[in-house]
Amino acid sequence: MNLETVLSIQRLTKNFGKLCAVNQLDLEVKRGQVFGMLGPNGSGKTTTLGMLMGVTHPTSGSFTWFGEKPSHLTRKKIGAVLEHPIFYPYLSGQKNLELNAMIKGADPNNIPKVLEMVELSSRKNDKYRTYSLGMKQRLAIASALVSDPIILILDEPTNGLDPMGIAEIRQIIKRIAADGKTIILASHLLDEVQKVCTHFAVLRKGKLMHSGPVDDVGKGEETVEVMAFHDDLSIYLQEFVGSASIKREDGLYQVMMKDGFHSQDLNKFLFENGIITSHLVTKKKSLEKQFLEILSEAH
Amino acid sequence: MSLLHLVKVDLKKMTSYRTFWVICGLYFVTLGFTTASGMEILKWIAGKFQDFGSEININRIPLYHFPDIWQNLIWVSGLFKIVLSIMVVISITNEYQYRTLRQNIIDGLSRWELMLSKILMNVLLSLMSVGMLLVIILFTGLIYTPDLAWADIVTGSEFLLAYFLEVFAFLSYALMLGMFVQRSGLTIVLLLLSNMIEAIIKLNVFRFGIENSFGWLKQFFPLESITNLVPLPFPRYAFQEIQDSVSMVAVLIAIGWAILFNYFSYLRLKKADI
Ligand SMILES: Nc1ncnc2c1ncn2[C@@H]1O[C@H](COP(=O)(O)OP(=O)(O)O)[C@@H](O)[C@H]1O
Ligand SMILES: [Mg+2]
Repeated sequence: MNLETVLSIQRLTKNFGKLCAVNQLDLEVKRGQVFGMLGPNGSGKTTTLGMLMGVTHPTSGSFTWFGEKPSHLTRKKIGAVLEHPIFYPYLSGQKNLELNAMIKGADPNNIPKVLEMVELSSRKNDKYRTYSLGMKQRLAIASALVSDPIILILDEPTNGLDPMGIAEIRQIIKRIAADGKTIILASHLLDEVQKVCTHFAVLRKGKLMHSGPVDDVGKGEETVEVMAFHDDLSIYLQEFVGSASIKREDGLYQVMMKDGFHSQDLNKFLFENGIITSHLVTKKKSLEKQFLEILSEAH
Repeated sequence: MSLLHLVKVDLKKMTSYRTFWVICGLYFVTLGFTTASGMEILKWIAGKFQDFGSEININRIPLYHFPDIWQNLIWVSGLFKIVLSIMVVISITNEYQYRTLRQNIIDGLSRWELMLSKILMNVLLSLMSVGMLLVIILFTGLIYTPDLAWADIVTGSEFLLAYFLEVFAFLSYALMLGMFVQRSGLTIVLLLLSNMIEAIIKLNVFRFGIENSFGWLKQFFPLESITNLVPLPFPRYAFQEIQDSVSMVAVLIAIGWAILFNYFSYLRLKKADI
């Protein structure tokens, strides 16, 4: 099936003075995807989304929504919450949504439905400033949904929430995705992206490191370099269920691992068979390992 | 988006905001009370003087008589616009503080529409001031003028247009200040000091005797141009010459500034990452 492209980004760049927050980014999001933008704090996720939503001026590069040049009219078809929920603190949740609906040109009759969806109906007449963080995040999702948009953009929607709140938000996102909406979700949690997304891209210091289906995350073989003072080492290496192939180079064994097997599995196997390795190094890492390393980098 | 819809968007932001009602209430009540009751206060003062044995004939000072009443009351009303401008400052600096301008744009307003909604709100507030004053002037003028003549009623009503421009230009200035400074406290302080700052600048520019040859340039200063729309009327009761009609030059200069203030605001909004 030839999927319709919803968002197409070409060489998008944003500099803040000397700092390059987004660097020559290329991306494509297709209809129906739940697309994760994964990267550590400061990797340029919010800046990218800010450019896509017209609040941050790109330094260079371009993007199209639905194949059109972006304008405020295309933005009305998108529901987006960037970074933090933003509302008028002195207005009630209901009044805030009425204002969002007015700006988006949405039917105000949608408001009860979206409030119900995020379970805020009972608190809708309370002022926004009295809401808990979880309620604010949920109201933000409601406001993004009020115009029944084709695309939903959520930026770290579970940030700062307790495990209960996180589970609730993820449930809501899954329900919305099941409705067939395209979702772009920015997150610094691999686990979150794996749990909710179908596709994802990894950003690091504003640069695209990887993009593809989420199913690929566990893939990508590791190569492990091993040496031990044991005569039957090569036999044991061949016997290990995780070995795909074995080569001998410069007096060391290079073991290519099958998907899902890691150096520690091999080490454990050898140890259980009475072999103590004198040398064991992971040469090439699985994708998951690479991402976790990227995500744990301080910026 | 239609202009009406843009006004409604801004009204929606304000009409559930208590501070808005407090400040607007304060403005319209004090404005209305002061302008409508001036004659009664004068009578009361005259009565007090009478108690002490001196006679003041307040009808000899035709403060509330057509056509004088137009310029008199409108000049006094001009003093109150500072209250309204504080409301405008709060409305725009709030949006920066809460970052709601950012969400408005994300939700699909263009920067131009946002600007227009703020400008239209200023037009609305100016029109309300003008409407209120028109009613008060007609009422009190009809009550207090001894020999009514149609020609007298109409003469001087041009000040109402000048008043609209005076309020609108000043609110535009307040809006611009708010958009550049973005913090409410600092903006309000700057707003209150604006006239003084302009006076100091004028003093420094026009010294060393260039006053004589270049003094005419003073009318081009922004705040002075707003003040010049409605000249101080009261010296005429001390038999001094005053300007008792609206100067076309003053109107053109003030319109120029009103356009510039709003244009600078728009440039600021357009260029900035929000
Ligand atoms: N308005 C700004 N001015 C200067 N630097 C900024 C601004 N916004 C973001 N940055 C910088 O750009 C980088 C990317 O930030 P951001 O897009 O918020 O990352 P993320 O959302 O992935 O955490 C960070 O180093 C941040 O400090
Ligand atoms: Mg961010």
